[in-house]
Amino acid sequence: MRRSTAWLVFCAVTALLSVLFIWPLSKVVAGGFWVDGHFTLRYLFGVFENPIYIEGLFNSLKIALGTTGLAMVVALPLAWIANQFDFRGKTAFSALVLVPMILPPFVGAIGFQQMFGTYGMVNELFGLGARDWLGGGQYLGVVLLQTLALYPILYLNAVAALANIDPAMDEAAANLGCTRIRRFFRITLPLMMPGLFAGGTLIFIWSFTELGTPLIMNYTRCASVQVYDSLKEIGTNPFPYALVSVMLASSVGLYAISKWLFGGQTYAMQSKASTQTAVRSLSGWRALLAALPFALVTGLALLPHLGVVLTSFATPGSWYQNVLPSSFTGGNYIEALGHDMTISSIRNSLLFSSLAVGFDIVVGIAIAFVVVRSTIRVRGVLDALSMIPLAVPGLVMAFGFLAVSSWLSNLKGVSNMDWWPQVVDVRTNPTLFLVLAYSVRRLPYMVRSAVAGLQQTSVTFEEAAWNLGASPAHTLRRITLPLILANLIAGTLLTFAFSMLEVSDSLMLAQQADYMPITKAIFELFQLLGTGKHVAAALGVWAMAFLTATLVGSSLLLGKKLGAVFRV
Amino acid sequence: MSVPITIENLTKRFGEKTVLNGITVQIEAGELFFLLGPSGCGKTTLLRAVAGLNEPEEGRIWAGKRDVTHLPPHQRDMGMVFQSYALWPHMTLRENVAFGLEMRGIRKPDADPRVMRALEMVKLADRAKSKPNELSGGQQQRVALARALVIEPQCLLLDEPLSNLDAKLRLEMRTEIRRICKEAGLTAIYVTHDQKEALSIADRLAILDQGRLLQVGSPQEVYTQPASRFIAQFIGETTFVEGHVKAQRNGVADIETAVGVWSAATQVPVADGEPVWLSVRPEAVRLHTDKPDGANVFRAQLHGTIYLGEVAQHAVDLGHDITLKALEMRPKLVARDGARADTRLYVAPEDIQVLKE
Repeated sequence: MRRSTAWLVFCAVTALLSVLFIWPLSKVVAGGFWVDGHFTLRYLFGVFENPIYIEGLFNSLKIALGTTGLAMVVALPLAWIANQFDFRGKTAFSALVLVPMILPPFVGAIGFQQMFGTYGMVNELFGLGARDWLGGGQYLGVVLLQTLALYPILYLNAVAALANIDPAMDEAAANLGCTRIRRFFRITLPLMMPGLFAGGTLIFIWSFTELGTPLIMNYTRCASVQVYDSLKEIGTNPFPYALVSVMLASSVGLYAISKWLFGGQTYAMQSKASTQTAVRSLSGWRALLAALPFALVTGLALLPHLGVVLTSFATPGSWYQNVLPSSFTGGNYIEALGHDMTISSIRNSLLFSSLAVGFDIVVGIAIAFVVVRSTIRVRGVLDALSMIPLAVPGLVMAFGFLAVSSWLSNLKGVSNMDWWPQVVDVRTNPTLFLVLAYSVRRLPYMVRSAVAGLQQTSVTFEEAAWNLGASPAHTLRRITLPLILANLIAGTLLTFAFSMLEVSDSLMLAQQADYMPITKAIFELFQLLGTGKHVAAALGVWAMAFLTATLVGSSLLLGKKLGAVFRV
Repeated sequence: MSVPITIENLTKRFGEKTVLNGITVQIEAGELFFLLGPSGCGKTTLLRAVAGLNEPEEGRIWAGKRDVTHLPPHQRDMGMVFQSYALWPHMTLRENVAFGLEMRGIRKPDADPRVMRALEMVKLADRAKSKPNELSGGQQQRVALARALVIEPQCLLLDEPLSNLDAKLRLEMRTEIRRICKEAGLTAIYVTHDQKEALSIADRLAILDQGRLLQVGSPQEVYTQPASRFIAQFIGETTFVEGHVKAQRNGVADIETAVGVWSAATQVPVADGEPVWLSVRPEAVRLHTDKPDGANVFRAQLHGTIYLGEVAQHAVDLGHDITLKALEMRPKLVARDGARADTRLYVAPEDIQVLKE
């Protein structure tokens, strides 16, 4: 790649990311620290003096720590077993543990409540009476739900980290007399630490700022919900800005720490794995023992989904103080598809996600090219820049976009034109900002996929084409893109799936029923009395089915490399 | 149409490191020219500079009358055979070979016969619809050659094209490559670290080390008249004996060494008293049991014989820590475990090279 082209792409992408990323974030920070024309720390201190905000931040931290810790406990043994042993049904089980990714945890919460609620399935099944399993503060419920939805990310990271370790490391320890379990703690765990920490950071940031689940579980005393509730005062009250700034600083700080601790992504293996891992084949009761954790985790993780499916088929009002709904109906699905909001929400989600994916494909490929194929020094900066959206919570981004939108819609000179609010005012039409929010936040997946593809494709394939007279553009179209197509499709599917599932931006930016995406529609339907919950569940099942298809597709295309997509 | 390639004062740096240092060389039209040197000497960098895959900091490259120094690679019209072959895995052989013609705007009806002719030339016409990964290493190598040749390039560039093949196939392919180049009258630049490859098929070759061009000449010239000890050692086997010039007459010098005086034909002028090295190649050493004393006859002890049937390799100890290697055809003298003290060796003055550096 020519240096001049590389620089051009670098400058263009940096400028673009600055507008889409730095600008909204600076609006957030400015909103909390730059009030009435001068700098002030009053609101920052205010956040830390207000017991309600303190409690919210503390609870969010508790959620994040609990979720990350629990996810480690769930994912690590599974990954280790998958790496060390072979048993019947392993392929099926290792695919099944990924299933929770097909549903945003907040939709699962609807089903979860039906099963573990005071008058839910579990209490009825075991005759426990009206016992509240979720704890008065619903803390346990939120952590459990988020763990069950997010542990696959950690599992994929751990499996990838394990696969990357040269089996000779383990064999050398075994040769010196170390037992299997001790080898795990002395050799394997230290070597997989970077990968594990990367996944852990991601889960921490996601659960720290998760909005949907606490909202549905009615766990209002956490920072994300407090921010959501303060949206009405966004123009007048600097406190939410200061609160969001604190959340931003903690997330980016954690990301920086993980980068600093494990700067080189992994321990460089001296050699490519020269031997296959000595996978031990298990049979009989040993195989059952190995399969048990998988079955247990999958079963638990599917409970919310099962609850959602049951809710979607239950006649409204028939699943109360019963083990199972007393009567079933397909009516919720018909109603879901008949409802104004659902049809338009499916259309909206498809439109927003497609636009975002289109944007990400172009920008992602350009970034990947500079990162992998150019020699300019700043390519590392570009790589880091494109990964930062992983470290910035969707909630913060959404808040930033809201601030940018309100600033733009009050811009002198254009604000009184008819078309201007249609474009920039989220209260009128959030399309632009939703698409931008989706694109920026899902860009890392696309970049990672394209980078992986380019790294696997030897540059000599391109050189051979130039040598035979193909121009760079021709080479891109005829040689490079076809060779990395599988990666691009996988990246596209992931980007698309996660855009369709996006919660924070969707809940916060879409305020007009006409422009609501699926997730916001599910949330709105859930809040309707009577049939709402069931219709919301039916819509959730539609989303599940759709996401299953895309995730199965991308995991087939990417194979074991799926884990690499979820690296910070 | 083949053109001469002229490289003038070419310098290439990677960061602080100078990989090519003022290379100047002229490659004639239709010539099979070899770049030879140890790994890291810059030979591949030089080839890639000619192909346009890297841009030199200083100097010029001419293809015929055209200055191509800063031309992008796709406008240079130089077919290249890559070390890894770089056959595109998503295209069939036919598509791989047709690609260059397509880039030149040659339509399918005109291109097809040329593609088939190229595949026939490398004896793979029946595999035209296969994908590269269905072929063996040798077959892939031939497709890579066909792909580079079908565009009738101004110049063919070969980057260690045989290094991934087994020994037998390497022998076959190197004569094949020379045949094809000569039939097409191609200018070809061939990079290798295998001296046998270079000696056997090159018209001329250039020896590189640490980014510098050390010597350019025909295989015989470089082998029999190496410019330095480095080259003598790099091409073929040799042993050096240190000494100084005692006297000279009619192009033959007497060289005083630790084991006595040697007569050697000098190819470069030397001054009396000048310190020099004698390069004695194993095949120049003739072993006798009954040779009378005379010029260049020395008593020697034979040991460490490696017996190979048609030939034996001996270590010949002359005393004073000087041990020559000797090659004996139809071997009669064998000293595998012990040593034979009854041997004499003789080296003809014209078989000894006198080196100043």
